[in-house]
Order: sequence, then structure tokens, then C-alpha cells
Amino acid sequence: MKEERLKKILLALGALLTVLFCLSPFFYMALTGLSLHPDFLLPDRPLCITLSHFHTVVASDSVHFVAFLRNSLIISTASAVICVFIASLAAYAITRLPVPGKVFLMFLVLAVSMFPPVSLVSYLFKLMSALGWINTYQGLIFPYVAWTLPLSLWILISYFAQVPKDLDRAGLIDGCSRLQILVKIIFPVAAPGIFSTMLLAFVFAFNEFLFALMLTTDHSARTVPVGIALFEGLYGQIPWGEIMAATTITTIPVVILTLMFQRRIIQGLTRGAVKG
Amino acid sequence: MKTERLKKSSFHLPGRPARVPALDREQWIALGFMVPLLLFVVLFILVPVLGTLVDSFFLDVTYLPKRFLGLENYGWLLRDPGFWQSVRFTCLFVVVSVPLEIALGLMIALVLNEQLPMRGLLRACVLIPWAIPAAVSGRVFELIYNYSFGAANYLFRVLHLTERPVNWLGSEAGAFLALVVADSWKTTPFAAIILLAGLSSIPDDLYRQAKVDRATFIQRFSRITLPLLKPVLIVTLLFRTIDALRVFDVIYVLTGGGPGGTTTSLSLFGYHYFSAGDFGYGSAVSVILFLLAFALSIIYVKLGHFEREVS
Repeated sequence: MKEERLKKILLALGALLTVLFCLSPFFYMALTGLSLHPDFLLPDRPLCITLSHFHTVVASDSVHFVAFLRNSLIISTASAVICVFIASLAAYAITRLPVPGKVFLMFLVLAVSMFPPVSLVSYLFKLMSALGWINTYQGLIFPYVAWTLPLSLWILISYFAQVPKDLDRAGLIDGCSRLQILVKIIFPVAAPGIFSTMLLAFVFAFNEFLFALMLTTDHSARTVPVGIALFEGLYGQIPWGEIMAATTITTIPVVILTLMFQRRIIQGLTRGAVKG
Repeated sequence: MKTERLKKSSFHLPGRPARVPALDREQWIALGFMVPLLLFVVLFILVPVLGTLVDSFFLDVTYLPKRFLGLENYGWLLRDPGFWQSVRFTCLFVVVSVPLEIALGLMIALVLNEQLPMRGLLRACVLIPWAIPAAVSGRVFELIYNYSFGAANYLFRVLHLTERPVNWLGSEAGAFLALVVADSWKTTPFAAIILLAGLSSIPDDLYRQAKVDRATFIQRFSRITLPLLKPVLIVTLLFRTIDALRVFDVIYVLTGGGPGGTTTSLSLFGYHYFSAGDFGYGSAVSVILFLLAFALSIIYVKLGHFEREVS
């Protein structure tokens, strides 16, 4: 029983260290956002709590943070919804229909997900410039849909494969088309899986950096990661208070999302990686 | 695991000959379902990658006439000390950060796999660093490493680890370490979650039997956990390697490739040329990175035994 006790202590310690490792940067971030001066850790500096940085970030016209946040939410949501719809069409075909060259297509999609983003960004920049899509939502949504498709496809295949084929047969007997079967029968049954996939696609689009950096030049479509990365002060000094207020605001929806859907996200991630 | 399910679900097509030149109705429908996906992948991924390959054979600088160079860009690249420096940095970064992330991730996964109170909350905590954009957490780490008032130097001072503050982002070794820590913080959760899935698929009976046989914790770990986790470990390793190879966001934000270009990754090196309008040379860099990642993903597919299982 000595070993049992040692194991319990080690586990508690491990859990504590894990939480500290994951969350301490966030406390520091939020504290700096709330602190009047960022140097409150120095021996003789007091910690004055204020909301002024948060107010500046949200209310100031020159910061554009609210615009970045709005752009990010619109672009990521649109990308996730379009991506998951297109991926479900393909996943349905792969799990249920005789797709010609199925194995080749699946390998192609798997290979595509390994491409480094930098190997396509210059051409995307030229393409979007030619189309006049620099600084537009669609200029980011289209690449994001393509970029999140491989992962979404692999996850959805693993979910759709679990839906019994008898449902399809029943649908066919009732005279439904394949598309009707997908929308009316498979979607409701596989809804949890589709939701997991959508969450992941959203997170991937929300976190994407290089495309957004290259394909936007002003605040009209710039997303939060790029906005925060390029956040500099007007007077040479880095405005740490404002930056940390902005990162804190960005973190809040992400934290809520992960707290609410922890199980779904983990399930989706695991299927995408281990089984795909 | 995936492939078994695929086999069951989709690869036993009712008595259709393997090579039919003409497609039947079902196959046309199937293709129709695949078309939107293929269109997106071809237009926004495959064509751009091919376009980059073509660009790499040209002198392609903004405001200059485009001119065919053949392999000259690559020749310059091989003689460019900046390029070799970024190759060295990228390899060193992969070799240091990936094993660290996997080791930390395995430890976290071992903790998460146990029956703990508030396990869901604990797992959510682990997910949060993964879910935050790397550019955002990069900014937080930039503050942590601030020379005069950052948390890193505060900790070092309080714990009396160094006499003077460490110039994290201004020295070569400091910047490298800072990047490894910031990247590990962000990506360890991913490794932990994947490894957790592998751990939870190991049957409990094995451990119970081992306990009956009075195997120590270390024996159980090295004789049961590690061997059974090996396939998942390899997948995680390759996933993380390919991802670390193309590292960009955290470096762009945290060090900008500095000091003196010592932390410039291949992605960042290529990007610098793109943002300066030199598309030809930047494309050559991207092609090399692409080939590296592609070679690794082939190893990944081979090790994952996808071919054998799918076909």
C-alpha cells in the first residue's frame, strides 16, 4: 500500500504542475492587462488594478481590435460551416458510394494536410491580388476552407462509418436521393460528430496566421492573431497593457468554448490524428 | 484503427469489376459528391503549390520583368549562408522541441489517464494552450521574456538562479530556449491529447495482471505502456515533426528571426523574401521546405501502414 500512497501523491503533484504549466501564462497575461503599469513584478512597483487598457482596446478607433475580432469570428465561422458541409459530402461518398480512385484520393488529401503553408502563400497572394480579393473576407475564407478540409474529411469519415448503412437503404427505398439521405438522415444521426469537426475547423481557422498576414494589409479583413502580432504603440514603446488586454479578450471566448466542449474537441482531435 | 472501420464500411463494394472504363450511375453520383472538395483542394492548395514550384525557376521580383532562370535560384540558395543558417536552426529546433514536447505530453497524458477528481476540468485546462492562436500566446511569451520586468527574469531573481537578468530575446541561446519553451507550451497539449487516446486504449486487465505479478510502476510502464503505446507515439512524433519543421507564427512574433537571423526558420526565411517582393527566390526556399515535409509525410504514411491497411 506504500506504493499506492506514493502514486496518489505523485498524481496530485502531476495534476497541479499540469494546471500551473497550462494556465500560469494566462494569469500573468490577464494581470498585466489589468495593471496600470506592466512592470509590477519589480521589487518597488505597486500593482494598481485598472480597466483602462481594456477600455482603450475596445473603444479606441485607432486600435481596430473590435474589427479584428469581428473579422476573425465571421471568417472562422463561415470557413468552418462551408468546410464541414463540403467535407461531409465527400465523407458520405467515401463511406457509402463507389468513388473511382478512392484510395488515391484519400492519400492525396492526407498528403495535402502535410504541406507547409509557406509553400502556397505566395501563389495565393498573387491569385487574390488578381481577383481583387486582398483585404476581403472571401479572400481568407476560400483558402481556409481548403486548408481545413483534409482534417475535417478524415474526422468525418470516422464518424460516418459508424452510422449503420441500413438507414441509407431505408432512405433509398423511400425514394430519397443520396443528397436527401445525407441531409435528412445522416446529419441528424451524426450531429455530435459534425459538431466536433466544426469546432476543430473553427479553431484551426481562428488560429491561422501566415495566410492572414500575407492576404490582408489593413483592418478591413485582418484577423485577431495578425492584429495582435502587429500591435505596436504609436510612440515607440510597446503598449503591454493594451496588448495583454487584447489577448485576454481574445482568450475568453476560446476558454468558454473549450470548457463547454472539452469532450467533443478531444474526440475530434483524436479521430483526426490517431485514426486518420 | 481507422482503416479497419473503412474496410468494413466502404471497401467491400458489391461485385463490381475493379477496372471499368465507363462509370455507372452510382459512380457519377459519388464523383459529384467529391467535386466540391476536390475543387477547393486543387484550386487553393495544389495549384498554388505547383505555381510556387514554377515560380522557383524564374527571376520573379515585383516591378522587374519576369525571366526564366532554370535552377539558378537553387544554385544561389546553396551558396547562401542565410539559407544554411535557417536550415541549421530549423533542424535544431525540431530535434530539441519535438522530443521535449512528446516527453512532457506523455507525462501529462499519464496524469490525465488516471481517475482524478474534476478530470474534465483538468482536460479542458490542457486544451486551452492548444486552442489559443500561436501569435497570441507568442505575444504573452514576449512579455514573459521582457528583459527588465518580464516574469521569466522575475522568477530567476526570486529563486536566485542568476545574478543578473537574462537577456532572453537578445542572445542567441536565450532566444532559442525562449522559442522552444513557448512552442512546447503551445503544442504539448496536442501531444498529450493524442497520447491520452493511445493510453486509454490499453486494456486495464494487463495492468491488473501485472499488479498481481507484483510488477513495479517502472516495470509496468516499460513493459506494458511503452510497447503498446509505440504506434501512437510514432504517429505523434511524425505529426509534431512535420508541424515543427514548418514553424512560423511563434518565431515571427517572439524573435522575428533574431538576434542576427539566428532563429530564422525556413518558413520565415522564405516569407522574408515574399514580403520583400522576391517571389522567385522565396519560392525556391518554399519548395525545399515542401520536399522536406513531403519526405517526412511519406515516412509517416509508411510507418502508419496506411497502404497495407487501405488496399
